[in-house]
Amino acid sequence: MTYAVPRTVVDAFYKAYATRDAAKIAPFIHDDVEWTISGPVDFLPFCGTHRGKAAVLDVIENQVKAVLRTTSFVCESIVVDGDQVMMLSRQAARRTKDNCTVRYRVANIMRFCDDKVIENLSLLDSFDAVEQVIGRQLTGMTRRGAHSSDFIAV
Amino acid sequence: MTKPVPRSVVEGFYKALATSDFTALAPYLADDVTWTISGPVDILPFCGQRHGKAVVLKLLDRDIPAFLEKRRLVPSVMLVDGDRASVFGRLTASRGDIGRRISYRIAQFIRFENEKAVDYVSLIDSFDAVEQVLGQQLTLGGAGTAGELLAI
Repeated sequence: MTYAVPRTVVDAFYKAYATRDAAKIAPFIHDDVEWTISGPVDFLPFCGTHRGKAAVLDVIENQVKAVLRTTSFVCESIVVDGDQVMMLSRQAARRTKDNCTVRYRVANIMRFCDDKVIENLSLLDSFDAVEQVIGRQLTGMTRRGAHSSDFIAV
Repeated sequence: MTKPVPRSVVEGFYKALATSDFTALAPYLADDVTWTISGPVDILPFCGQRHGKAVVLKLLDRDIPAFLEKRRLVPSVMLVDGDRASVFGRLTASRGDIGRRISYRIAQFIRFENEKAVDYVSLIDSFDAVEQVLGQQLTLGGAGTAGELLAI
């Protein structure tokens, strides 16, 4: 029989995930999880693919918090269908280095197995996130091999 | 209570959207639809929020094709749940003026009322999209260095 994740499990996971507390999130993470955060790892060092429960909890507990401390997590949409879930959230955080507030939206595309997340892709408006994290407009920066006039022509 | 959207309606909506058949898409849009694409509007001018069926159809049928040609959406995940649907996939297109193909990941969340889309939000991997549109890697210039970022 095809597995379908119960909505109660998804709701409990979401509430735990919103706390950003690895101890609360851990029971919902499969040992063989693959967790990918889409974005430029040179600018947002927690981006990339992380494999295994310990590595994923380390990302949530340590790597993200080294850059951002989440202060608000508002779920705008949760769509549950079979073993897959897509979630859209609006998050606010403070930059760890200077306490400035940043806001961004994140989409989580997840697959559950045995009531635990075994696969996640976090997709975010990464250009906006990078600008906020570095505290500068990328449009005012130097693009490799480009002049500012190039952008007007795009 | 909100009425669930039939999967067949979502599939019809996506078939029309994925193949850029906007005549077929029009009946699936509510008159007061809100259409939001997250991203830097100064570089990707189709990003931002639009309201109203006519404005959204103009965006899809004229404004976006003027910037990105031969758009194709290839969904890899399509979920339907109550009055909501979501899709994750890859959008491919070409910049005809510079002969460049681009491809980026996209997640879409749609809410339906009476079998018509009333609210659409999409997130794109915008950093990746901007780099491809510009055809260059974004790097820090001036006072910034990668080392600063790693220290954040």
